[in-house]
Amino acid sequence: MASAPRPERDLGLLAGCLPPYPPPPTTVGLLSMEQQETYLELYLDQCAAQDDLAPPRSPLFNPVVPYDMYILNASNPDTAFNSNPEVKETSGDFSSVDLSFLPDEVTQENKDQPVISSRHETEESSESQSPQSRLPSPSEQDIGLGLNSSSLSNSHSQLHPGDTDSVRPSPEKPNSDSLSLAPITPMTPMTPVSECCGIVPQLQNIVSTVNLACKLDLKKIALHAKNAEYNPKRFAAVIMRIREPRTTALIFSSGKMVCTGAKSEEQSRLAARKYARVVQKLGFPARFLDFKIQNMVGSCDVRFPIRLEGLVLTHQQFSSYEPELFPGLIYRMVKPRIVLLIFVSGKVVLTGAKERSEIYEAFENIYPILKGFKKA
Amino acid sequence: MVVFGTTFFNFDSFIGKTDSVEIIGKSVFLYCYHIIFPLLNDSGRYSLGDARRPLHETAVLVEDVVHTQLINLLQQAAEVSQLRGARVITPEDLLFLMRKDKKKLRRLLKYMFIRDYKSKIVKGIDEDDLLEDKLSGSNNTNKRQKIAQDFLNSIDQTGELLAMFEDDEVDEVKQERMERAERQTRIMDSAQYAEFCESRQLSFSKKASKFRDWLDCSSMEIKPNVVAMEILAYLAYETVAQLVDLALLVRQDMVTKAGDPFSHAISATFIQYHNSAESTAACGVEAQSDAIQPCHIREAIRRYSHKIGPLSPFTNAYRRSGMAFLAC
Repeated sequence: MASAPRPERDLGLLAGCLPPYPPPPTTVGLLSMEQQETYLELYLDQCAAQDDLAPPRSPLFNPVVPYDMYILNASNPDTAFNSNPEVKETSGDFSSVDLSFLPDEVTQENKDQPVISSRHETEESSESQSPQSRLPSPSEQDIGLGLNSSSLSNSHSQLHPGDTDSVRPSPEKPNSDSLSLAPITPMTPMTPVSECCGIVPQLQNIVSTVNLACKLDLKKIALHAKNAEYNPKRFAAVIMRIREPRTTALIFSSGKMVCTGAKSEEQSRLAARKYARVVQKLGFPARFLDFKIQNMVGSCDVRFPIRLEGLVLTHQQFSSYEPELFPGLIYRMVKPRIVLLIFVSGKVVLTGAKERSEIYEAFENIYPILKGFKKA
Repeated sequence: MVVFGTTFFNFDSFIGKTDSVEIIGKSVFLYCYHIIFPLLNDSGRYSLGDARRPLHETAVLVEDVVHTQLINLLQQAAEVSQLRGARVITPEDLLFLMRKDKKKLRRLLKYMFIRDYKSKIVKGIDEDDLLEDKLSGSNNTNKRQKIAQDFLNSIDQTGELLAMFEDDEVDEVKQERMERAERQTRIMDSAQYAEFCESRQLSFSKKASKFRDWLDCSSMEIKPNVVAMEILAYLAYETVAQLVDLALLVRQDMVTKAGDPFSHAISATFIQYHNSAESTAACGVEAQSDAIQPCHIREAIRRYSHKIGPLSPFTNAYRRSGMAFLAC
């Protein structure tokens, strides 16, 4: 068993000085401290291995999103992590939102997870019955800043013996927590995408799905919820909208929900949680399972006109350009599998991504090609 | 390949002269604008100025040709529909009419697939579109592809129609058009290019109601449905494109080089490749006229309709109307 100071020391290396973690709340901490540390170590070792394997990927553009850890995790097939990508949430977006009203059930499959932990979550399909332990919300913090001791303990409190699934991903949490605080990438030097052109695609729309895992009475929801539309003759789902983050959700009677319109992964998740909360408040035992981002759309402007006729001729096998049908050229990039819509004005729309890094990578790939067809 | 007088109807051979390439580009690609002008009734678009604009007479003639051809096509499609006992003209009827010409049929199929694909992508981008799609029922994906596949499956006896789906051969005509466009755009400046792009975006499917009226659909007993209208719009566009392709070749043929004694015997392709500045200067004749003239169009149609060879009376089944269909 690892000695107590070790994880701290590792974290310290990465994150600067850390307060020792406060004792976990009494209701949680179902694993002993030692066990937690072992997992932490295990995870750190894995990360070290991953860092060697993972190629430099797109780095942090949005300072709010500590994407590096996420990417490392996602890119390494060896890590037998949950198949659902972990979505890291950043507290940056949540600065004005206090989600403490959200009970554990809704936030996580891991019961004892105190709500706000905006650090990271793992979605699993484990059952959770949660004791309502809660820690003060660290939501006001910016990601890149100091480790929140409470969130650290949160992560520890997440470990649940009964949950085999959670065991593996859980150790990541404390680590990702700590790693997420440093704005620098701890282990792998990442090549910033912007070194080629300084242009960063902005995310415009994220479509995600989540399973509330209970049958819903759509009529009841439509009657009692604000901003809900339900027209069973037209479509078999309730359409609900919230203003912050500005999104739309389609809620089906099976309990599945689609959330669209968010501008970042965290916002999408936050919005989905809010919808789940609404459903829960109406009396349904809603949970929050299998949150998954299905599609991400980004756009940017290369700021020079592009000669599409040349592009379609030289990249015939990837592009189709039918100006009388659609004013943009449709470019099907193979690696990463992204579809780009390229317009004469220089605007580029990228879609079909499951991860932010794919969008950045696709744009990096296309930019030199577009420069070659710049219309002087 | 059709033997076309002295010229082999080989699309690859057309290479415009540099000084007239711009103008050719304009006249080729502004055709749509001009055809659609009466449909759109939008006089703001007329202000393009001097030789950049295609000749009014040419445009009127092309419009007339396209109109006649489409009306005839519609009538034949209506007949096919009636044979089936259907109440609307469906895309299947149009596909049936086109079954003879594999290349054109393939081009149409490709167009339909691209249309499906484009709606799929655009849907994913805008959340409103996504909602719209969900609301309208979710069997919209690849609907045109399904229609085409099911239909060709049912009429295919020899397997050659279905083979078209897997066929990845390059479409020469399309290739030629792409190359021509690329050549022309290379030398344009940004303003011209912007104009060019805008004119290329015009199509018959933009103002569907005007298109329907133009074809006088309301007076027909059997009317085409939505997808059939899309195909008709595409066929109209193709007809114009074909006409322009042919007319350009005819015009090329018509250029006489007074200084060259053998010009009547040499094909236009040869002239293209080997023409030098001297002989053009020596002719004293302007190498190319600025725009396609109505006479080019008429000659193109005449040659297209006049099939040479022993089987010519039997090759085109749609000549009852007196004019061979350019689009199928």
